[in-house]
Amino acid sequence: MNSHTHELHYSPTCAVMAEVHIIGQIIGASGFPQHSLFCKWGVHTGGAWKLLSGVVEGQTQVDHPQNDDMAFWSHPIDMHFATKGLQGWPKLHLQVWHQDTFGRNELYGYSFLHIPSTPGTHSLLSPTWRPLGTWQEQICQMFVGGGPQLKSSSLIYGGSDRYRLQTVAMGQVHLQLTVILRNFERYGVECS
Amino acid sequence: MAEDWNQDVGEAVYRSRDPIKNLRIRVTLQRVTPAIALVQRVQEEDANRGGLELQALHNNPEANRGPHPNEEKEEVVISWQEKLYSQFEYELYQNEAACRTPLDHQYYQDVLSLERGGGRKNRRIFTYTDHDRYTNLEEHSQSVTTSLDETPTFLVERMANVRRRRQDKRQIDGVGMWHRFITWKPSDDFIRSNHIINTPVQTMYIMADLGPGGNLGLREHEHVLCTVRVDANGVITLKPDVTGTKGPYRLEVEGEKRQLWRYTLQHVSESVQKEEQEREQHIYKDLYSRHKEYLNSLVGSDFEMPPAGTLRVFINGEIVSAQEFEYDNLYVHFFVELPKNWSSPGFQELSGVTQTCRTKTRARDSVAYFCYPFNFELFLSEEADSEETTQLPVLFFEVLSLDFWQRYRVEGYGSVVLPGTPGMHVLTAQTWRPVELGVLTELKRFFIGGSPELEDLTYVRVPETFQGQRLSRLGFRTKSSGSLTVRLHCLHHSRSFLDGRSLRKRMQSVLDHLGHSSQQSSIQNVLDAFQRARRRMQQARDSLPLDILNTSKATLEQSTA
Repeated sequence: MNSHTHELHYSPTCAVMAEVHIIGQIIGASGFPQHSLFCKWGVHTGGAWKLLSGVVEGQTQVDHPQNDDMAFWSHPIDMHFATKGLQGWPKLHLQVWHQDTFGRNELYGYSFLHIPSTPGTHSLLSPTWRPLGTWQEQICQMFVGGGPQLKSSSLIYGGSDRYRLQTVAMGQVHLQLTVILRNFERYGVECS
Repeated sequence: MAEDWNQDVGEAVYRSRDPIKNLRIRVTLQRVTPAIALVQRVQEEDANRGGLELQALHNNPEANRGPHPNEEKEEVVISWQEKLYSQFEYELYQNEAACRTPLDHQYYQDVLSLERGGGRKNRRIFTYTDHDRYTNLEEHSQSVTTSLDETPTFLVERMANVRRRRQDKRQIDGVGMWHRFITWKPSDDFIRSNHIINTPVQTMYIMADLGPGGNLGLREHEHVLCTVRVDANGVITLKPDVTGTKGPYRLEVEGEKRQLWRYTLQHVSESVQKEEQEREQHIYKDLYSRHKEYLNSLVGSDFEMPPAGTLRVFINGEIVSAQEFEYDNLYVHFFVELPKNWSSPGFQELSGVTQTCRTKTRARDSVAYFCYPFNFELFLSEEADSEETTQLPVLFFEVLSLDFWQRYRVEGYGSVVLPGTPGMHVLTAQTWRPVELGVLTELKRFFIGGSPELEDLTYVRVPETFQGQRLSRLGFRTKSSGSLTVRLHCLHHSRSFLDGRSLRKRMQSVLDHLGHSSQQSSIQNVLDAFQRARRRMQQARDSLPLDILNTSKATLEQSTA
């Protein structure tokens, strides 16, 4: 039970760090009621993780697809982390927004996924949801848009307070991520 | 003719980190006349025979070439962006009236100094550097087909105006560029300097004037021998390639007299001294290792390890979605049950409740999206493999729906066995819910909510309290409902993975046991017991004081003696 508390630290003879490269792209989004979408994204890691290079958050352009099927962003993701522990493996949270013809932005969905811990290329689908307001708000939203948003993004990547939420399913975000791991085997970690 | 022409006139790409100004190319240009061909033939044969009889002929061509040695053969070493004037340019820049741009004036000065120094050295071979008009404009308006009146298209004209490089000033206002990605009203200069090319390219042409004898300096007799392009990243593109071991290139001149020229290109840049090269490599090595040390110092090298004798299993997962359930507004309640030998840190919650999600229709199915994250850190003690089989933890869940009046209904029960192998797993679990005979409960469920529920969720699999030979569910009725999709990323972490392959395999076998027959596992047990006993013996031996070992050896020797 308390095995976690007296954890031992292990340092091999030569100092090497366990490194993770995350390279990929946010391809696009499909299944949303309107198109003309953009996406805000961010990566959250635990305290043992250190970003060596790259950016951990960003925002895509607004894409208005010609054939009303899927919005493509092809937004690049390129990060390099080093870590001294497995806890707090990088997580990616996404927010999909819709920009209407008046230039107003409304929230279309929150989404969350763990960065795969298996080396290789992964095609991922991340479904999104949006908080649901009261019925007055819903009617209001039908005509003028808008809608409730989360006060803090911790609800997206933390699960403990989710039960407070009333949501509705929205579209899906398509991602392609390539994960490259280094030196994990030196610390006795099996990833695949 | 016996000569091997080099037919390959394609581009060759090189890469160099050294400054480009050290590039040197030796160009040899020679007109091929029947006499030369003959002489060469004879020379070859001469070499083959090793005889003396054609000695006279051998000397002959040089005597013939005496009056115009440069006419027939010319050899020049050209460095990067070195300007060699053609006959035409040489004459043009001799009078100052023709000079308009500062570059022209500079050329004028150069030509004057050349004139004072006794005329230019080169005759036929000359160059166009990056600054020359030829490089900027005329390379795009060359004809590309044999058509007699090939007119440049609109695109060609526009392309001719595009400078294939980026101005240096762009980098200065790079910060300014960050704020406005799009220039809505670009000026002509802006278009010219920013279009198309992303890496700045410098170009140089090595040309040859292949006009007949005394009639040099005509534009139509100019021919490109070699194009050299260098970009800012040190990529050097040569077209055609320098002729190393390959034969010379041929150049056929169209005209009333069809002339054939052969030319070779040789790379004659001074190479770096060996010591210098080594020193450079050493410096680079030093730099990289210092950078690595710096990065290491950022992170620290003490990797967090699980206690000895345990396998730590990390599970990062998400409850992705729920499909095809009867009612709307779904939520999921789940927990993980740890079998024997498994433990988890006390502060960690092994259960969760998702948000309520209204479904949407996707390809005629109703789906609810959750994206609910969870991560578990589980420990399996390594003594487990001495037991019969290791069971894997199971994730039990129930899907519930909430209606407008805040009443909930059970939509389905299900379970997912957490995978025993590391990697990514996307699992979809089917669910069912209990029903009672008759329509009454269904009516109840429809009108006032509520339906039969399981008291113990582990009844989905083998219940915890079950003791007996066979599990019977006789009399229990269910109705199958939707499915739940879970995505799991598993990591295994153990000290024993470090100790070598054999132990690692053994550890793996802990999990492989599950599918194997009990017989196999019993063999494994015997082997393991043997291993343990052996290890214990070795430990005991190691812990013995040395003198005891020595004395025992001594007594052994005595007894043998």
